Formats: sequence, structure tokens, C-alpha cells
Amino acid sequence: MNIWELAAQVMIFALVPLTWMAIRGDARHRLVAFFMAGVVITLLMMLLTMAFNRIPMMDLAIALALMSFGGGIVFARFFARHLR
Amino acid sequence: MKTIAIEAFLAAGVLTALLSVLGMARMRDPYQQMHYISPPASLSAICITVAIFLQQGMKPESFKAVLITLLLIAMNTIVTHEAARGFRIAEVEDWSPKKGEEVPLKASDELVRQEPGS
Repeated sequence: MNIWELAAQVMIFALVPLTWMAIRGDARHRLVAFFMAGVVITLLMMLLTMAFNRIPMMDLAIALALMSFGGGIVFARFFARHLR
Repeated sequence: MKTIAIEAFLAAGVLTALLSVLGMARMRDPYQQMHYISPPASLSAICITVAIFLQQGMKPESFKAVLITLLLIAMNTIVTHEAARGFRIAEVEDWSPKKGEEVPLKASDELVRQEPGS
């Protein structure tokens, strides 16, 4: 196991509290947990790319960063309009 | 020496993300929780990018990591603001402070009462 794999394995545990928040919290807590999960998983994909030395996988991290931005904006707008 | 630097940067990045998630879980208010998104999106991403640069050198994957870091920093700011605005609108219809509402407007976080007509 190299240091990148170890870092990725530790980083996965950051998703546990976020899952708990998404299960237990109300809609606002879930949305915040969703934002944080997007950031954490993007970093995780960078680490996994280096761990397995599959360099093209770095494009997936770029795509995820862009898509989580779009998803976040859409959810925030939806929240403002429909969840009053 | 380079290996130690890579390990130190990776440890810093991962620990920052873990502590931020735990801090977020401790907060009860979603407005407070959103503050904890910034450290992983900025500090962790920068640390991991520096580690990738040290490992790979001037390769395309290093510059892709820089692009990801810039995306995370820029977009986290926008999304966090947009979400807070959405929460506020969902609560009070208009997100601007109401007359007589106490809001922290100054850098010192001092509450300032909005006078009618101001």
C-alpha cells in the first residue's frame, strides 16, 4: 500500500458523518451534507487517481467538480422557490 | 526528503477534510455548517495538489489538479452563497434584512439594528 492509497482510505471515513447528517437531518442539513460530499469525493478521486496510477481518471474529478457545482445551484434555487 | 514532504502535505490535506466534516457534524445550524465546506475546498485541495506536483512534476495531471483546486475554490464560494440565500428566502420570503431585524453587518460581528426608513 502506498501513501496515496492510505490517504484515500482515511478520506473515505469523512463520508460517514455526512451520511449520518443526510439520514438524520432536515432538508437544509441534507443539502449542506451534499455540498460537502461533493468536495470530499472530488478530493478522493484525485487521491485514487494517484494511488492506482490511472492518470485519465483525473478527468472524472474535474467533471465531478463541475457537476456538483451545477447540482448545488439547481438544488439551492429549488429550495428557495418550492420549500417554503 | 521529497517523500516526507509528499506525506506531510497529504496528511495535512486529509486531516483538514476530516476535521472539517467532524466540525460540520457538531454544528446544529445549517448556516454555521456551511462555513466548514471552505477548508476542504481550499486548504485540502491545495495540499493534495502540491503533493501531486511534488510526485509527478510538470505533467498534465499536475495541471489538472490545479484546475480542480481552482474550480473547487471558485465554485464553493458561489454555491455556499446561493444555498444560504435559498435558506433565507425559504424562511422569510425576501432575503434582505427586515426593518428592526438585528443582523451582523460590521466586521466585528456586532449586531446592528436596521432603523425604519434606512
